[in-house]
Amino acid sequence: MRRLWILFKSEFNVWRHDPITAVGGILPPSLILIAFALLFGGRLSFKIAVVDLDQGSYGAVLRQSFDQVISPLNNMPYYHVEDMDRENAMRSFETYRVEGVWIIPPDFSSRLESGENPNISMYFNNYNDDRAKNHRIYSAEIIWHFYKQIGQPPPPLEMLEEYPLPVMVDWIPVIAVGVALLSVCLGSIFNIYALTYKVQISNLTLEFGLAPRSLGWILIPKVVLALIFGLISGTFFLVVINIWLGFWPGSFIWAFWLLSGLTALFWIGLAIVFGLQSRNYMAGAIAIVLSAIIVFFIGGGLGLIRFHQNDVQWYSWLFPNTHAIDPIRDLVLFNSWPVDWNITLIKLIGFALLSLTVGMSITTRKLRCLG
Amino acid sequence: MKRFGLLLLSEFKLFRTTIPVHIIGIFQPALMFSLMALVLVTPTFDMHVVHPITPLGTELVLEMEKVCSPIGDNYISPILVDPVASREIPGGQLISVETVDGTSIALQRYGLIDSNMVKNFRNRLTSAALSIWNKSLMGHSITIVQYPRLSRDIPYSVYFGMAMLPLAAFLAAALIGAFSTAQEFEFNTIIEYRLSPISMILIMGVRLVRLSLIGLLSAFVLMLVVGIFAGGWPSSLAWAALILLVMALLGGCLGTLAGLVLQSTLPAFLIGLALAFFTWILGSAFGLAAGFSGAYEAVSRWIPNTYAVELLFPLYYGVNIGSSQPAILFLATACTILVLATMFTYRRKILLRQR
Repeated sequence: MRRLWILFKSEFNVWRHDPITAVGGILPPSLILIAFALLFGGRLSFKIAVVDLDQGSYGAVLRQSFDQVISPLNNMPYYHVEDMDRENAMRSFETYRVEGVWIIPPDFSSRLESGENPNISMYFNNYNDDRAKNHRIYSAEIIWHFYKQIGQPPPPLEMLEEYPLPVMVDWIPVIAVGVALLSVCLGSIFNIYALTYKVQISNLTLEFGLAPRSLGWILIPKVVLALIFGLISGTFFLVVINIWLGFWPGSFIWAFWLLSGLTALFWIGLAIVFGLQSRNYMAGAIAIVLSAIIVFFIGGGLGLIRFHQNDVQWYSWLFPNTHAIDPIRDLVLFNSWPVDWNITLIKLIGFALLSLTVGMSITTRKLRCLG
Repeated sequence: MKRFGLLLLSEFKLFRTTIPVHIIGIFQPALMFSLMALVLVTPTFDMHVVHPITPLGTELVLEMEKVCSPIGDNYISPILVDPVASREIPGGQLISVETVDGTSIALQRYGLIDSNMVKNFRNRLTSAALSIWNKSLMGHSITIVQYPRLSRDIPYSVYFGMAMLPLAAFLAAALIGAFSTAQEFEFNTIIEYRLSPISMILIMGVRLVRLSLIGLLSAFVLMLVVGIFAGGWPSSLAWAALILLVMALLGGCLGTLAGLVLQSTLPAFLIGLALAFFTWILGSAFGLAAGFSGAYEAVSRWIPNTYAVELLFPLYYGVNIGSSQPAILFLATACTILVLATMFTYRRKILLRQR
């Protein structure tokens, strides 16, 4: 045990010589989180122009509806409306300054009163089908509200909703938890590389290979230290999430550490294979870090996995992140115990054991060959 | 010129020392697109509905099937379920048509999902319910006449792939630039540069040309993948190459700068990687900057990817986004500043260090 502690301390001293690598788990996830916060955290209302040519009063009521209908996404109106004349509106549309233009015709009120099916023209961008879809289905919300405002006969089918929590969880917290898990993984990966970096450039791998004792003594302190730094990075992100968005796992924090730690161990196992090989060392580092970032995107980093289970591709399930992310969100965002806790834990332990066993075996064999 | 050619040849021969890094830098963005394109949002949502037992419930399901783009996909795929099995539904979303005090109600229940998902479910149900209401209103209903800009809804993957092209060019050049430069310090081969009688401009010029061409190659590989998998091709390959070459040059400059300043491969790689993804997300990666919040648009105006995407857009969609002059001006200015900064740093870190 004393030997392990000495090795642990010497590994820590190695790390202290290259402390910039400690930000490996902080810097890329921070920048990714800032970028997504700017992208999805601000006002997501569609910028449109409304040209109200109506000679009656209903056009103005419709115009008001745009400001009154609130989207659950960030609790802002679906549309950010700019009132323009037709010429300006179409020019703004042509130059992509607005996403769409609604034109309320002069006879809108009169045709509505006389029951002659009034038309509204809606010009919109469809350069991507997702935004085009939003234009089409947002318009239904506006018209629904407008009908109610003008006192149309009630709809044959009313709508009601039930949400399980008093406050709806926004999209950004969902992404932020994904980033926290990414941070644990990247923190561990970068730090295992930091711990093998000096070994590589000083050609100490030869000495490792000739070591009389099991190489586990060398590898275990590295793994533990990398894991600790990964968890520190992830916890840092949880604190950021708490201060910024108000979410905190509370008494479930140990469960967060357990799930994210097991996930990180999988990546450490992979990284250590390349980390202690003298050939293609950096190529391995680059490949694994980029893979972890790709897995963030394809493994539920940006959205809930459970709902999209059928859309999640088979290769995403080959990584523990995909299995861990929603239970972690349960703990952090909903402060509820994951219903699939046991099965998730078993899977993550399996991933971690497999990766560490294979990783350490290959590494040991390679080092012995070099020796 | 001959000397430049020989130096360039020598630079490209350095490829042999780091083949795996080059392979990763060149092919990783294409791999990332291939994997991500399959999990991108699709307009069609599965929506679970309890087996209808009333005519209105049946009508709702029929209307749900009709909520669609007239020039694209359906937006709802209704899945009829038994109330007993409804507890097993992923995400917990379920619609049941009930009668309360004589009023028919479509009650939509959600599980622990986020507001974006709620929005998507709500809008789709409203669209279907509005169709029923419109029928009941007959002549007093409103028709929205749609004028989409393009003749068909373009799949999101085309835009996503197009917006990844600047990332591909930037990432490959930045990573390889950072790695190659930092490695010179680690292996102490930097001494050769210090002792070289050749001008700094020639040495750095050749390095940046090499990095730019590698970045361009990475972007071409991605372009090929986007074309094959998503069906989007640029109308002018030469113009697209020019735009991407500029992005690759920017990436090459930043990567080389990181290598010169940090002189260590791992931190230099970290900086190159973080910058590449940061500028990608902020540079209109998921939609044109003008379509998002004011803060996002304001920040993205300082990111070169935004301008590269705006210049690539007409090549993929056949429509211009305003004047291209500001974009060209920004990219030219950014290139000039970064090339000068790289030269300056090279001079400080390498040439002046020996004296």
